[in-house]
Amino acid sequence: MAINDCRKTLQNKFLASFTTHRHIAPLANLRIVFGAIMLYSTIRFICKGWIADFYVQPKFHFTFYGFSWIHPFSEIGMYTLFFLMTISSLFIMLGFFYRIAIVTFLLSFTYVELIDKTFYLNHYYFISIFSFLMILVPAHRYFSLDVLRKPSLKITQVPAWVITIFKLQLLLVYFYAGLSKLTYDWLFEAMPLKIWLPANASLPLVGYFLDKIWVAYLFSWFGAVFDLSIGFLLLKKSTRKPAYFFVVLFHVFTGWFFKIGMFPYIMICVTTIFFSEDFHIKLIKNIRSIFSKTSSENNLQLNINPLKQKVIYALLIVYFVLQLLIPFRFLLYPGKLYWTEEGYRFSWRVMLMEKGGTAFFYVKDALTGKQSEVINSHFLTPMQEKMMATQPDMILQYAHYLKDEYEKKGVHNPIVTTECYVTLNGSGSRLFIDSTVDLAKENESFLPNKWVLSFQQKNNSK
Amino acid sequence: MKSISLKLSAVCLLGLLLSVVACKKKATPTITNPSSVNFDRKGMLTNLANNLIIPSYQALNTTVITLDSSVTVFNTSQNITTLANLQAAFKNAYLAWQSCSAFEVGPADQLSLNVAVNTFPTDTHQISTNINSGSYNLAGLVNQPARGFPAIDYLLFGIGADANAILAEYTTDSKAAGRKQYLAALSADIKTNIQTVLSAWQSGYTNTFVNATGSDVGSSLGLLMNSLDYDLEILKNDELGIPLGKHSMGNILPNEVEAYYSGISVQLAVQQLKIIQNIYLGKSIQGSDGLGLDDYLVALNAQYNNGSLNDAIKAQFNTAITDLGNVPDPLSNTIITNATPANKAYVDIQKLVVLMKTDMPSATGILITFVDNDGD
Repeated sequence: MAINDCRKTLQNKFLASFTTHRHIAPLANLRIVFGAIMLYSTIRFICKGWIADFYVQPKFHFTFYGFSWIHPFSEIGMYTLFFLMTISSLFIMLGFFYRIAIVTFLLSFTYVELIDKTFYLNHYYFISIFSFLMILVPAHRYFSLDVLRKPSLKITQVPAWVITIFKLQLLLVYFYAGLSKLTYDWLFEAMPLKIWLPANASLPLVGYFLDKIWVAYLFSWFGAVFDLSIGFLLLKKSTRKPAYFFVVLFHVFTGWFFKIGMFPYIMICVTTIFFSEDFHIKLIKNIRSIFSKTSSENNLQLNINPLKQKVIYALLIVYFVLQLLIPFRFLLYPGKLYWTEEGYRFSWRVMLMEKGGTAFFYVKDALTGKQSEVINSHFLTPMQEKMMATQPDMILQYAHYLKDEYEKKGVHNPIVTTECYVTLNGSGSRLFIDSTVDLAKENESFLPNKWVLSFQQKNNSK
Repeated sequence: MKSISLKLSAVCLLGLLLSVVACKKKATPTITNPSSVNFDRKGMLTNLANNLIIPSYQALNTTVITLDSSVTVFNTSQNITTLANLQAAFKNAYLAWQSCSAFEVGPADQLSLNVAVNTFPTDTHQISTNINSGSYNLAGLVNQPARGFPAIDYLLFGIGADANAILAEYTTDSKAAGRKQYLAALSADIKTNIQTVLSAWQSGYTNTFVNATGSDVGSSLGLLMNSLDYDLEILKNDELGIPLGKHSMGNILPNEVEAYYSGISVQLAVQQLKIIQNIYLGKSIQGSDGLGLDDYLVALNAQYNNGSLNDAIKAQFNTAITDLGNVPDPLSNTIITNATPANKAYVDIQKLVVLMKTDMPSATGILITFVDNDGD
């Protein structure tokens, strides 16, 4: 086949994966599993008492840059918000007033995530953007309470993009997670798995192996290859079954070894979107047969009006271009990414570093020259203190907060400095922030933080 | 066509791999790695429980029983000798307590033993109120700073300028009877608490402790590390920092030292730090070296800026203990007359906090929070 023909076929195939009409069943099932896992994870969050721990107890919150207007509600307000989140995920699952439910879920979930970056997790970001995509699609127009309630809503054939965008998103997540593992530390030092796996050596059955250094290398390389390839293997019909088997295996194991919460289960659930439409149709048929509702089905095609379709295409193009670019923004910053963390978040960098720190803050009265050391626990929860001590943007936010607090106590123009020590992937702790810089005078921006010391600079405090 | 797309993606992948690897520089020099982490975590916990923690509680238990009986003797006959004996018994017991304050795990944690027996500075006003009223519940929140060793410290050393003046408070003073009664209640309270914790270790908790060999927050290692860090921070902030004015814009607060009235603050602090060192080294109460956190760090080949983390921690313990020992007692005076040695010890302990709170948990992968994380 000539190259040109080949390109043309590829192009056509690519276009077809967006424009041709496909059965809606995969999308309906995605709605159900996504709603179900969100319902479970919201209830789990509430039951762990995290609303109080994360959003009621702290006196101060580390908001995201540009989102300082986001504040937690009162205690009752926060519980109401989580109640809303619970109900909306239930409604998503059932396909009941779906559009309202998914918008409510996206807004309430994202609002909560924006309150405090202490609790930022890649999979929370994933849930937000996944919900955003879910708003664009008619996931409720089949096998849902909405259809029962209003049979005219029912459709069976949808433009393929409403399913493809989710595959594309998942492919991106895995592939970028894989790319981020292609570093010297991960591949050739087996870091941080060399630290984390032996820490689990007391687990039954596998514990013995986790102590072995070669196992850390095996897991590192397997993890990288898995992440890079799994999205493609799930796309291809011939490799899909074994690929999904590996998805389950990989996530069950990581979920067992590490305290990563719901992430593994979310991925196991939503990757079912890769399954063929026949699989999904059959699944729904089987479920229906339990309720003995076997009705024959007419083809009901969803035709989106061309203008609306164009707007959505444009939106999706912008969205995916951003998704492609955002993880690479770290290239614009000097220094070691893991150390400065400039451009680290929102990039599918998961489980890549064992980083720990201790930060002592000092507040000096500019007028009297007298100085106090801050007891961090008076201002932050243990979790906030731990996360703050290794992340420069949070250190800066805290310094500004301290300035305000001490000013209220009558300290004149407080000068805030920190002596902060951080260890990264077993390097040994070293000075992280220039301890002579008055952080109260530094401002948050997208520019590199000059007051973060270089990783290579050794701490010779002894 | 299939093969072309496959080849294309393979080439892309390889290119990416090479380019990314090429621009990442080596972070740390490679140090000969053992092929496996061979470390008997249960053995270490067993050693710590049987040879350090339980014997230390036993020793403490003996001294608080002696303290209590010395109070009984003193309450029956008040004279210079019985007072001196009681004061000596108190100092012994307080020192023995410092050998146990770092073990705030399991039963001690449940009782909040540190708060129950060693909340300082003591509230002399609340103590007087209690003595005057004659009825009090020592376990109540309001009495937290009016019980434990610091309260006895005050009642045995702080209520008169010399031994005779103190004796008078227990003999001729109008509140003498109430004061004796309060003293007895205080020592009985300590005795009961220590007895409770010791029996828990002897009847089952040891088994729980040595078998919780994981690395999560609830594991014994997680609990122990949290407790050590907590204890070190008490030493740094409460025993030294606050009196030195570290948290009050440089205004010293000498009255806020631990054991202000008996004036044995430095002695107590040194003892406390030595025990933290012994836990780290896995040293038994008799001084023989067993499996400890040091051996664990060695087995993990933990690094500290081109050297071994264990060497760095050991050296820092020695420096801190030496410098702390060089601070003359009573600390409350030293702070006023010459704060330099105390400030030096403070800096040493701060460095030790960094090693113990940042490097050690990070090297061992021990989790110290309950929250989900994705490793960033």
